Amino acid sequence: MFKALSDAFFKELGEIKNSYYKLALLTLFPFTVFALIVAIFYQGVAFDLPINVVDNDKSEFSRKLLSNIDASSTIKIASEKFNTKDAIEELQSSKVYGSIIIPAHFMRDTLLKKQPEVTAILNTQYILIGKIFKAALIETVGESAGVIEYVNDVSSSQNSTLARRSVTPIGLQITPFFNTYKNYFLFLVSALLPAIWQIFIVIVTIVSFGTLFKEKREKEFFGSSFISSKIIGKLLPYTFVFTLMGACLLFYLYGTLGWVFEGSLIVTIFGIFLTVVAYQVVALFFFVTGFDYARSLSLGAVYTAPAFAFLGVTFPTSNMNDLALFWRDLLPISHYIELQISQANYGSNVFLEIDRLLILGSFWLLFIPIVWRFKKRLGI
Amino acid sequence: MNFLEVLTAEAKLIFSDIAIVLTIVGGVLLYAFLYPQPYSSQSVTQVRVTLVDLDKSSVSRDLAFNINATPQIEINRYDMSERDAKDALIAGKVKAIIVIPHNFSRDLALKLSPVVAVGADNSYFLIYGAVLEGAMKAVLTKSVTLKVGKLLADGTPMSKASHTYTPYSLKSINLFNKDNSYTQYVIPAVYILILQQTMLIGLGILGGGINERVRDKQRGHYLQAPIWMMMSARYIIFGSLFFVHALFYFGFSFSFFEVTHMADIGELLNFTLAFITASISLGIFLGSIFSSREVATPAILFSSLPLVFSAGFIWPLEAIPSFIKYMSDFFPSTPAIQGFLKLNQMGVDFSAVMPQYSLLWLQALIYAILGYYYINKNRKKYVRD
Repeated sequence: MFKALSDAFFKELGEIKNSYYKLALLTLFPFTVFALIVAIFYQGVAFDLPINVVDNDKSEFSRKLLSNIDASSTIKIASEKFNTKDAIEELQSSKVYGSIIIPAHFMRDTLLKKQPEVTAILNTQYILIGKIFKAALIETVGESAGVIEYVNDVSSSQNSTLARRSVTPIGLQITPFFNTYKNYFLFLVSALLPAIWQIFIVIVTIVSFGTLFKEKREKEFFGSSFISSKIIGKLLPYTFVFTLMGACLLFYLYGTLGWVFEGSLIVTIFGIFLTVVAYQVVALFFFVTGFDYARSLSLGAVYTAPAFAFLGVTFPTSNMNDLALFWRDLLPISHYIELQISQANYGSNVFLEIDRLLILGSFWLLFIPIVWRFKKRLGI
Repeated sequence: MNFLEVLTAEAKLIFSDIAIVLTIVGGVLLYAFLYPQPYSSQSVTQVRVTLVDLDKSSVSRDLAFNINATPQIEINRYDMSERDAKDALIAGKVKAIIVIPHNFSRDLALKLSPVVAVGADNSYFLIYGAVLEGAMKAVLTKSVTLKVGKLLADGTPMSKASHTYTPYSLKSINLFNKDNSYTQYVIPAVYILILQQTMLIGLGILGGGINERVRDKQRGHYLQAPIWMMMSARYIIFGSLFFVHALFYFGFSFSFFEVTHMADIGELLNFTLAFITASISLGIFLGSIFSSREVATPAILFSSLPLVFSAGFIWPLEAIPSFIKYMSDFFPSTPAIQGFLKLNQMGVDFSAVMPQYSLLWLQALIYAILGYYYINKNRKKYVRD
């Protein structure tokens, strides 16, 4: 039995060595896609997002406010328009992400304490960009207003400490936990790379078995005994490569980029291994539905392509409906991402992970119908 | 062979292939329904938060009530210390912690500006943003009430007091996607990518399969039919099928998932026509260079995530390296997403999407020429000898 397994293992290594396509699928292709994603988000923070302004006041105060806004690292005033209509037109064309409109008599009304209103028009079609932009704006406008208020209070109460405090009766201190870098790179890339990785596991598994059956060499490879050992032997080289790849991704994210990994590396890498096998088994399950190479690729594509949306990293699981949560549970990667986040960011006690590891392991049960289908197909 | 025969032969080849049908019919229908599911509630609400109230005064309870009243936050737990609260966070019971300090009400009365601390899980940035927004709103409202109260106590009349609490204010207007709906944000762009990718996979399997057959010299129309006829047949078959898909996606599905319609229907169809034609051309070209049926699915699949994230609607184009931007412009999905969002989600004039519209037709032309060239080359290579 062990002999059958190791024979299949070495036979498969030979197959990989003789196929540039398989070699590329294990090295060049995944590396290229990973590199593209990393390059897209490499900057990590958005800065100098272009906006336009309409200054209907052209006073000392409005100039000061605009220069404060421009000084914020996130925002860059790209153009000045003479009226709101032109500003909005430019906003629609997506050349700028927002417009700031300062009302006429802004300075006079401020001094008369009539509380004029500065209007910000945001393009919230791009939610993420809109959020970054709005946060920066609230901060700068709030600060600028605070300075004026402080000066007013100092001049009336002659006490700078008291004045400063009355500007903000209640202070708010905000602490981001876990991803303290406030950086979209860690947040998106640490989930995107695994989402790409799972696509490769499924595709490679199907390619490995698909080419064998397409070239009608399955009888030659499997013979008539120890089928399950041979299937495992054939999967094993890929299990090894993808576990290594998963560990390298983890090392890249938390090792080389200097992010702190709080939890247990061993548990996480064990999770990676379980995830790889879970996907291999699911891929084989697609394959044995008809032993058709192209068709099982289509099934694998339908299954793996939307995974990122279901991970809950962008849009949280707490606001997903039952159907989405059900589909999410069917994807090993969503259980793995929970494990990765809880280990990397929270440094959770490893006993809390037993549930997740068990779920990942439960995908292995599909192996039973797979072996049964193989035996039937091979006429044993 | 006449055109009708070629058309029938191509249609037979396409619709008798389960892998193709599974993708261009099954995949398209399933995705239309499956993809919007995670976002069905559209925005992040009622994030679970634990409150550590170290003051336990009527003022702190009042503030907690205000925080809990914001749509973003639901206080579903009370902890006695910050440490317990942090444990609850790590165990995943809550996503954020709000701490009201000791002597909160006393410090407030003494004008010592007490600080409310908010800590939120930033592993999920929408959660973090929602907690931030909710807490800021509640605390600011409370601050304003206190300021106005103080002004009133100082003898300022109410009508004036309610205006003077800050020198000037900021009003923000969400111009498009007013409710910050996540469906509205993701679905229009992702739908375009789905249409393109399923189209490319379908045509890729078809073209790669024909290349295999030509190589094996299996008899069939692809050995002698005029290439322009084969290509036209694909434009007709895939074009009409995907036009129906597009109507279903942008019509029925958009209404069903409550996505805005702003574009004029004629302009929308015009733009869709350019997008579909460009995608078919690219599909024919890719099919002509794929060596087998099975190359198409992996190749197209691997491109999906980089294409979504380089289209500029999630991550700003200003922050993406330019070589990636140029590369992504070779795919119809990039100009299509950009143009389509402007046209339908932001309601611009058609003239504003001319750059994207022309790029799509340019792609349609170039890939058609390349496709013709390679189909011809493959045929010559194997049929002559």
